[in-house]
Amino acid sequence: MKIEYQTQRLSMRFFMLMLFLFVLQIIFGMIVGLQQVDPNLLVGKLNFNVARTEHINLGLLWILTGFIGTILFVGPALSRRELAHPWLIHVLFYALIAAVLWNVYAQGLAMKGVAGWWGGQAWFQEGLEYIEGGRIFDIVALIGFGILGFVLLRTFPSMKEWNEIHWGLAIGVVALAVVWLFGLFYVSRLDLQEYFRWFVVHYWVEGVWEVIHISLIGFLLVKMFDADVKSVGYAVFWGVILVWLSGLIGNAHHYFWIGTPEFWQFWGSLFSAFEPLPLIFCFWHIYLDAHQNNKPLKNAPAFYFMVGSVVLEQVGAGILGFTMTFALTNVWSHGTWITPAHGHLALFGTFGMLVIGAAYYAVPLLRGATDFDQRLGKLAFWLLFLGISGMALAFAWGGTVQMYVYRTLGLEWFGGDVFPALDAYKIFVPLFGFVTAIGCGVLVYDLVTIGRIGGRKQPEIVNRRKAQPTRGWSRPFSGFEAGIWLVLMWIFGFVITFGILSFNLSQVRIEGNPTVPYTMAAIGYPGLLLVTALFVWRFLASLESRIENTESK
Amino acid sequence: MSCPDGSCFEPQKRIRALIMLGLMMLVFIMLSAFSFVSQHKQVTPDQVSFDKHQATDGKRVFQAYNCMGCHTVVGNGAYFAPDLTKEYANAGPAWITAFLGAAATWPTEGAVKSMLLMPHIAADSGVKTIEEYYAKYPGAKERVERRGGKPTYMPNLLFNGDEIPQLVAFMKYTSAMDTEGWPPEVKVKDLDKRIALAQGGHSAPLRSGSKPAAADASTAGAATAGGDIAERGKTISASLGCVACHAPGTTKLVGPGWGKLHGAQVKLADGSTVTADDAYLIESILKPNEKIVEGFPPSVMPPYEAIVSPDDAKAIVEYIKTLN
Repeated sequence: MKIEYQTQRLSMRFFMLMLFLFVLQIIFGMIVGLQQVDPNLLVGKLNFNVARTEHINLGLLWILTGFIGTILFVGPALSRRELAHPWLIHVLFYALIAAVLWNVYAQGLAMKGVAGWWGGQAWFQEGLEYIEGGRIFDIVALIGFGILGFVLLRTFPSMKEWNEIHWGLAIGVVALAVVWLFGLFYVSRLDLQEYFRWFVVHYWVEGVWEVIHISLIGFLLVKMFDADVKSVGYAVFWGVILVWLSGLIGNAHHYFWIGTPEFWQFWGSLFSAFEPLPLIFCFWHIYLDAHQNNKPLKNAPAFYFMVGSVVLEQVGAGILGFTMTFALTNVWSHGTWITPAHGHLALFGTFGMLVIGAAYYAVPLLRGATDFDQRLGKLAFWLLFLGISGMALAFAWGGTVQMYVYRTLGLEWFGGDVFPALDAYKIFVPLFGFVTAIGCGVLVYDLVTIGRIGGRKQPEIVNRRKAQPTRGWSRPFSGFEAGIWLVLMWIFGFVITFGILSFNLSQVRIEGNPTVPYTMAAIGYPGLLLVTALFVWRFLASLESRIENTESK
Repeated sequence: MSCPDGSCFEPQKRIRALIMLGLMMLVFIMLSAFSFVSQHKQVTPDQVSFDKHQATDGKRVFQAYNCMGCHTVVGNGAYFAPDLTKEYANAGPAWITAFLGAAATWPTEGAVKSMLLMPHIAADSGVKTIEEYYAKYPGAKERVERRGGKPTYMPNLLFNGDEIPQLVAFMKYTSAMDTEGWPPEVKVKDLDKRIALAQGGHSAPLRSGSKPAAADASTAGAATAGGDIAERGKTISASLGCVACHAPGTTKLVGPGWGKLHGAQVKLADGSTVTADDAYLIESILKPNEKIVEGFPPSVMPPYEAIVSPDDAKAIVEYIKTLN
């Protein structure tokens, strides 16, 4: 496939900027991870709160940068014409760099307690988790979303010609800006502030990003596998609707303990129990759509990351989210390391892997590298996948100990008993962070050099194995087998859920015996992550063997 | 699967799904409206103050220092440091004030006592003696006994102006909030048992520093009365928590450093200059607000005359002399 529209090339700079920001985020992540082990590290120079804020903000920003790149790449192809107003995209690019640099600097002001209060608003930084940016950053970001939406809608054909992917992307980019508005005002009541903060955080991730995610996955499936547009459109529509039907009131799972009335516990527990449904649905569809024909898989890394995205969405967002979404489990897991276990897998897994996959799809095409060495990309995938899974496991086990020592026993944190109790798990955060960092390094090297350095080509070895019959681990994948894997994941998910629920037992709560929750966490989390890794391996092996066999014909 | 023959009424289904979505949005809006209208009793920050400081101002300070970047409040934040929602109810205003003034060190009993000397803090805590304080705010007792005087993991943030009492006001507000039973009540009652369980179920409780680390100033003094008087001053200043705000060198922490202080010329806020001799230093310990050094706000250090005898103050001055 060739690049048909020259404005698609504008996406390249966003993908490269995305990689740069990813590296920065990982650097801050390593610092934060090491500070978990030694809280005195860099104290007074780069306090934990600042380093963590940079880590979170850069995480959101590189994913957004990747979204922009992907949308710019996809937009002209979807519309069958050049992007409208490409000069605006140049503006967007430099505004993005300026906004990122400003925000990285401004977050450091928190060490001196400077928020830039003026007219009742914090203009430099506002110290609210996930939306720490001050009004200056917020307004620049809003203008950026406006530009993106404007350009995309002006590029699209007339509405009559839209299919579900057009609708998904259009609603996604418009909602990106609309939801952002709820974070633009200072609220003095803590309960009301948290209420609106989750509008931005929850509805962005579970409403808007998810919609963009589904649409982009759909489009890439059409492009990579010649999947049927109607079938993908069906999946996109029902995926989006299910996300909203469950996620709209599902947001109530953030309103359990923030000072809002008790009835939210009922609504939040009920509706967020349905939140995994669209994820299961998408998971199932990527299986179906990827297996619709025997088209050889030309670009393995792109597909690796897309599978990673859909599977980790299922496991990180779907299952780990499910385990702590009920008032009776959340009362224990709320405000503990259980949350970052879910957060890392869900955010990086779902959205990070998607935009990396999109970059792997677009960058070789943009550079005209038809036959590039795919081994580094696959290596990067496995390193990132295992690194992030390991971090999730460290957080999850540490979080289980934390629920017991901090909540059940009511002991104190620093200098108290929670901090030393977590010692054994803390060390694994930077350790697996390091694995992730290596994966990031490989990824960046590969994406920067693809099609540039002396034409690294696919090694011949891939084709030499072609005569092998496909059986055993790489035999063709059936729907039945996919179902079995899914059920296995959910069985471990339920073990984890009941493990957290067991903190309510009088045996744990009154006698202080943690055997039941500890055992279930010891089985549940590694079981879930192991099944997930095996499933990804199995799925990819079956696809790889399909490439070999298709080529041998 | 994807309705190949078109017989599955796909468009009707889609419209129904959208109507359903609209209904759910209505439900959500109604629940939200009901949550924040006046019938629902929930404390608001404009109703809470500490001394003359408003919780609304405290919330701005809380955000400006990005406290949520390490701590959690109502369970949201960074899980790196303790949840602060019920901190006021647990440790009380005297302990929090003592802590925030020099967060890198756990307040000693002397430091908490000296905060109770401040009339507005005593009035807000509603108690007079440290024993009553401990009974009302059990968290303060546990912390002083187990960790008083030891280093913490929180950096000194060098709050300025009224930021500390404003933060206390904010924490008073969050403590008063109804968070629907979160964090869950601790039902394992005995502290020694809880500590033993946390340390892996050791039968013998390994309570670190179960002997009060902050021995009372006068007892500490009596124990070493025959010894070196400067050494006694060092012990007293450590137990009172002086060193949390006053560095042994010339660094400015919350207060001026003690290094090279004795005999130096000190410029005061009123423009005059005095020599930091014995009499001046003793007065600055017992009645610190009589003479304020230039560049330091008044009323930050409490008057110590109620808990430090002139002899003890003299011992501290002897210790300061050794730092020249």
